[in-house]
Amino acid sequence: CKSRFEKIRLSNNLTKKYQEAMRLYGKRDYSKALILFEELSQKYRGISGAETLNYHYAYTLYHLKDYTTARYQFKFFADTYPSSQYAEECRYMSAFCYYQDSPNATLDQENTYKAIDALQLFINLYPKSERVAQASKLISDLRGKLEDKAYANAKMYLDMGDYDIRNYKSAVVAFKNAQRDYPDIKYAEEMDFLIIKAQYLYAKNSLENRQEERYTEAIGFYNDFVEAHKDSKYLKDAEQLKKASEEGIESAKKYLAAIAEDQAKYKAFLEKTKKPDTVFNNTILKKSN
Amino acid sequence: SELDYFSPKEYIIGGTTVSGTQYLDKEVLITLSKLNKGDRIVLPGEATANAIKNLWAQGLFDDVQLNIDRITGDSVFFDIAVVERPRLSSIELKGLRKSERTAISEKLNESGKIINDNLYNTTRRTITNYLLEKGFFFTKVEFKTRKDSAQDNSQILEAWVDKGNRVKVHEIVFTGNKDFSSAKLKKYLKKTKQQAFYKVFGSGKFSKEKYQEDKLKMIAKMHAKGYRDAEILKDSVYKYNDKSVGIKIDLHEGPKYYFGNITFVGNAKYPTKFLQQVLAIKKGEVFSEEKLEKKLNNDPNNGDINSLYTDDGYLTFNAEPVQTKVYGDTVDLEIRLVEGQQFTNNRIILKGNTITNDRVVMRQIRTKPGEKFKKNDLIRTVREIDALGNFDEAKTSPLPKPNPADGTVDIEYTVEEKPSDQIELSGGFGAGRIIGTLGLTFNNFSLRNLFNINAYKPLPKGDGQKLSIRGQTNGKFYQSYSFSFSEPWLGGDKPVSFGISGFTSLSNYSYGLNTSADAQQRIRLNGITVSIGKVLNWPDNFFQITHALNLQQFILNNYPGYKFSTGTSYNLNLQEVLSRDSRDSPIFPKSGSYLRFTLQLTPPYSLMNKVNYATASDKERYKFSEYHKWKFEAQWFQRVVGNLVIKAQAQFGFLGQYNSAVGQSPFERFKLGGDGMMGFDFLQGSEIIAMRGYANNAVIPLGANVAQAQQSGSPIFNKYVLELRYPVIDTEQAKAFIVAFAEGGNTWDRFRDFNPFNVRRSAGVGAKIFLPIFGLLGIDYGYGFDKIPGISAANNYGRQGFTFSIAQQLGGF
Repeated sequence: CKSRFEKIRLSNNLTKKYQEAMRLYGKRDYSKALILFEELSQKYRGISGAETLNYHYAYTLYHLKDYTTARYQFKFFADTYPSSQYAEECRYMSAFCYYQDSPNATLDQENTYKAIDALQLFINLYPKSERVAQASKLISDLRGKLEDKAYANAKMYLDMGDYDIRNYKSAVVAFKNAQRDYPDIKYAEEMDFLIIKAQYLYAKNSLENRQEERYTEAIGFYNDFVEAHKDSKYLKDAEQLKKASEEGIESAKKYLAAIAEDQAKYKAFLEKTKKPDTVFNNTILKKSN
Repeated sequence: SELDYFSPKEYIIGGTTVSGTQYLDKEVLITLSKLNKGDRIVLPGEATANAIKNLWAQGLFDDVQLNIDRITGDSVFFDIAVVERPRLSSIELKGLRKSERTAISEKLNESGKIINDNLYNTTRRTITNYLLEKGFFFTKVEFKTRKDSAQDNSQILEAWVDKGNRVKVHEIVFTGNKDFSSAKLKKYLKKTKQQAFYKVFGSGKFSKEKYQEDKLKMIAKMHAKGYRDAEILKDSVYKYNDKSVGIKIDLHEGPKYYFGNITFVGNAKYPTKFLQQVLAIKKGEVFSEEKLEKKLNNDPNNGDINSLYTDDGYLTFNAEPVQTKVYGDTVDLEIRLVEGQQFTNNRIILKGNTITNDRVVMRQIRTKPGEKFKKNDLIRTVREIDALGNFDEAKTSPLPKPNPADGTVDIEYTVEEKPSDQIELSGGFGAGRIIGTLGLTFNNFSLRNLFNINAYKPLPKGDGQKLSIRGQTNGKFYQSYSFSFSEPWLGGDKPVSFGISGFTSLSNYSYGLNTSADAQQRIRLNGITVSIGKVLNWPDNFFQITHALNLQQFILNNYPGYKFSTGTSYNLNLQEVLSRDSRDSPIFPKSGSYLRFTLQLTPPYSLMNKVNYATASDKERYKFSEYHKWKFEAQWFQRVVGNLVIKAQAQFGFLGQYNSAVGQSPFERFKLGGDGMMGFDFLQGSEIIAMRGYANNAVIPLGANVAQAQQSGSPIFNKYVLELRYPVIDTEQAKAFIVAFAEGGNTWDRFRDFNPFNVRRSAGVGAKIFLPIFGLLGIDYGYGFDKIPGISAANNYGRQGFTFSIAQQLGGF
């Protein structure tokens, strides 16, 4: 014996199906309503009642969390019935579905970009809508997510510097790119500080003959930092890094001078005894990085 | 007449009517046309064009016309005249097999469209094109419609298909060929074959598309042999009879050419002499575009000009060979280089990771911001992303986006997630009872989200950690549970892997009616392993070292076949593994090698305690296992020709003692022979080494106590394998290889007897298939050439033809 729903589903009476779909929708039995809506939306093209039907069809998908299809249906509605009283709402909901589909900052952000575009389009189309404030807030949420991602991916290089010092150099580049891509990024101040830190650690772990140049760059970043953030909570730490950099330059210079002295002595000794250079061979100062 | 196209004028819509409708609602059509009463409209203008476009877009009409009914003052009245057509409810295909119907129906998605000539044409084309691909040349399609009683204004379209005969190639005739024999040329047409009585499978079915491809390949082949003028002058496919066609190809072969002088222009970085060395093409060699192209742009084994530059930042490097002079049969070349500038990596972008967190992939990426661009890093990165096992290997692609203005390049990596979890659920039969196994492996686990409900989709995923759990039991008599967890980047900042695993198992036999605890034969094993592995940067970054600490406990009660039967034994050891893995694929490598050296040590208890091993009881003697164990393994893969790969492998293992008074450890020995599957054997703490052509554990030392050697294993073994592999299926979803192999291996009791060349031999063939969810399944037939002394004829002297193997990617047990 077939259930009432099955009987209606298999019947050819469109009106009855329509009524049943709306009844199920009202009862929030969305998964059953969907079965009927899917069929009806095909058959109701060009027939009165299609507008209401499509509106509820879209919401059914939305309630079932099928945001990808819901988004399409909302957009379809807004495109098909631009003068409908629900057109604005559906345009908004279409964008909101993208928002719902935007994943964690640690995953691919394709849907985040699309959500921002869709919400912006909504604001442009309905600048006077009362949903504009909400849409703006959502956009700023999404931008925040992108900023989190840029920050985290740059910070990763700093964290990994310990096992390969070239990562420190990458961290400086990545932090700067994050600031270029998101000029008002909320991490701006912290990132400016981390740039000094990454450059300092890069210099510190470099070979002595490369240190002066790299420390000097760190001091340059410090000067930029002080200029931009006068009352920063990182100021004290930044000053320490600057001081350590200056000391680093001194000690590198001393070290190089000592080696040069040894080398000179040895050269003098060689010249005196006329032996070939087997100790320094000028290799000490040659190395990568 | 009333409208002036040069001066559009604004009107108010006074009303719109619809004519010609049968089933459709007029009001809805007016809404769709957006010509609402009272709206302002410019005529002529866009609005009317859009109205027609919108109505057409519904796909409901055979014709749509928008007419101006009348213009009164400022008001315009429209009439929309439509011609409705019956709508298509479904297409029924007649005269085809089920598989053909399904395949064609997938391509025909016309439901809801109107039935008109256009529909007939597209449907006919879809059907005939599909059948043409399958070799049916003379398909006829006729249409009938019938009313669909289930829906208003709907019709069912019946397509009556007469396939005719499938066409084969009766003959292929070449003309104009001198140096190339017709037989040779036919060989070059790889997928277009002449029919012949001896070809049972795929005997000469003709496919137009494949024939077109084959023609290009044939010419390319001729060019590669030095015939750079070779071309097809004319070719025709003609009907031979109702069942077959003939192919006639008229060729111009041209002379065979040779390389002449090769010069370079535009090279600032490297001298011409050096570039000529890299190019490695000598004057007088047979001219081959293929070889030239390879040496210029793509020779990963021996180096090419392109990677010389692109591995050094010259991303936009381009080399164009120009034939400057052709005299007689010799071609002089000038290779024009555009070196461009050196690029530095800037942004590194990852796309497509919908499950796996950025960090898991980003930390593997070798092209780092601020570093000089290197093509090799790019290629290596793709390989390492694939090695994570979470992405579809065929779809990982890097895209460098150079920005010449500041000499930087952004690199975008696109990946596609694939299911990487495995489940093993099996029932087997052993020891007279049913054994059930449930195993789960999650290859992209996230431990930190274990208590985060929102992360369960259906499990916490995305951190690239691996978790396996496995249980096996036949009820009361045998139970075994194990788990393992590994994190490839301990702490997230360094490529130091951390692993922890543990297991517990119990085997229990009771004979007769006496089931008191004392009479049971029982063995319980508990074990735990903690390991740390590190990728080394020296001698090269394929090296890896692993340190592991293992603790095992064996509790025996009346358990036969051991050197002691009741008591508790502990095995605490430190294991050091140094390995180098440069294989190009983890499952079916085609090149690269794998080397592994393992040393495993227990503390030398006998040097520290005061036990007199000469008089000690078994219980005391075996309480703490002591041994040192050395193992070495080498595998090497090389492509022989085409996709045929040769694998060579050598393995050696040695179990030694610190103190001769203690004797060799009963645990940790090697069992050689059979399928190599662990099964119950790990209970005895021994190591199983596969050897096809012999039964499990059958390859025992000469003169050994047969029962003991089979039960506990032997302290020394070595083994060699030579295998030819050919891929039958090589897709992302499944991979299958057929193999032919020869093996040699043996075991010894004492090192002074050890002779690496005195081995038992076997040879045979087999097949292996890899399915992502099942792992690697194998079936082999091997013939053992040597009888194993001590094993009876009833057991076929230890030989066994077929072996089946399942290598789950479940680590450990």
